Amino acid sequence: MTVALEVRNLVKKFGGLVATNDLSFDLAEGESLGLIGPNGAGKTTVFSQVMGELRQTSGTIKLFGTEISGLSTAQRIARGVSRTYQVPRPFADLSVRENIRVGLMPDSLRAMIFGAADKNREAELAQSIGFSPADLERPASELSMGDLRKLEFARTLATGAKVLLLDEVFAGLTTGEISQIAALIQDLRARGFTFLMVSHDLPAMEPLVDRALAIERGTLLAQGPFAEVLSDAAVRASYLGVA
Amino acid sequence: MDLRPHHFILWGLFIAAMLLMPELVSKGTLRTMIFACYLAMFAISWDILSGRTGYISFGHPFLIGIGAYTTAILTRRYGFPVEASIPIAVVVTMFGGLIVLLPALRIKGSYFALVTLAVMELMLQLIPVVRPDLTAGTRGISRLPALTRGAEDGYYLAVGLMLAIALFAWLLMRTRLGTALWAIGMNEESVRGSGLSTTRLKSFAFLVSAAIAGLAGAFYAHHLGAVTPRSIFDVNLLFQIIVACLLGGQAPFLDPSLAHSSWCFCWRTCVRQSALRWSSYGHFWSQFSLRSRDRAGSLSMR
Repeated sequence: MTVALEVRNLVKKFGGLVATNDLSFDLAEGESLGLIGPNGAGKTTVFSQVMGELRQTSGTIKLFGTEISGLSTAQRIARGVSRTYQVPRPFADLSVRENIRVGLMPDSLRAMIFGAADKNREAELAQSIGFSPADLERPASELSMGDLRKLEFARTLATGAKVLLLDEVFAGLTTGEISQIAALIQDLRARGFTFLMVSHDLPAMEPLVDRALAIERGTLLAQGPFAEVLSDAAVRASYLGVA
Repeated sequence: MDLRPHHFILWGLFIAAMLLMPELVSKGTLRTMIFACYLAMFAISWDILSGRTGYISFGHPFLIGIGAYTTAILTRRYGFPVEASIPIAVVVTMFGGLIVLLPALRIKGSYFALVTLAVMELMLQLIPVVRPDLTAGTRGISRLPALTRGAEDGYYLAVGLMLAIALFAWLLMRTRLGTALWAIGMNEESVRGSGLSTTRLKSFAFLVSAAIAGLAGAFYAHHLGAVTPRSIFDVNLLFQIIVACLLGGQAPFLDPSLAHSSWCFCWRTCVRQSALRWSSYGHFWSQFSLRSRDRAGSLSMR
């Protein structure tokens, strides 16, 4: 079994606040891991460290066996890991198609100037995420929150990464949109994609993950099968508010 | 934006009108139009960096000045032919801008604008005192070799250069690189999160912008026949460039040149009175703050 993402003794301090406290976990290739915890537990901080948007205070992060702590975000994405954001960050004045185009672009000035956009691939990605052909030319500023989240997912997929970090991918979505995204995630899992997923919608998340990892204040509380983690006394006390 | 037939018709009419202009207007108006063409080139240069990436530069006259002074010094002090001095001026502008302004791209928002403004003011103060044997201090360098004879030839040179630069910028910005630069202006973090090196993209935009500023600045110096610190490192010139881009809608490249031509006419013919000029500045700032508010609004939406 190949380990896609290996996090060891990760520590992140903001002054006196310890946001990630000696956190270690593995994510096998093709596996889907749910990262759960109450608000402020440090889930998004873990994502930001894996992507290089925040530099860890100490600890190591390996992607497919290679240490990536010294790499830029763009270099990490080129090596196969990408993320969505809790609050969608679209390019508001660009169309759906152009937003996806940015994700598909190679990180090379020459290729960006002389290479043509792959319009078929753009349309294919947009449709796989649930956009209709008529939506392709709509500016992102006109999209609903649900559509913005889908657009963000499409742009993340467009980077070509095989390890996807999904941050609150179901937030703000209707039941129908959740089903659509869940079906897409299942399809991607069947195609060998690896997921690290954060969501407060536990019922929606449960069928999409192989196991779960619960943290509180950056510290690991429990990890294992989803149901076991949820029934863990420490997790119930901190996350669900019940003993 | 996809091109539609009426765009080609409009641009064909615009170019035809520009080419026919010497037959229709007086020599004095033609000289105003030459000035408008050079300011349009400066506006396109500013637009590539600031209109696209959102890094508002208040120091563009600094880049124009490097181009103008380089060709002036090379031709008058060292006897270089103009054919050699202008390409060298372009390279020197790119290199000089890279050293001084590129580090500023690491800071954002109003801080970047202030640093670039400070660089321009610094040049205004330094030029008269550093190597006055080369720059002739506050008097500037005069009797530069002319590229053309008469207003008509000068006009065709300026129009040709402006259209060539506009076409180049328009073609460049229609590529995926143009889309990426525009995306930086909307959300730089998201561009980085899409796997692109924003530092490399911004540096490239800066170099292209500097090259155009240097080229236009060098031609402008030869058109004027003289360069002085006050004529180049001038906040009035800066405001005219920015207003042109705001009127032209910032990013669509052929618009700034059109908008700037009309703006320059207003400026030169109708807005000479200082009270009116300051009201124009007021208009500029109101437009600028409205655009900033729109940008902030779309950011908060995200």
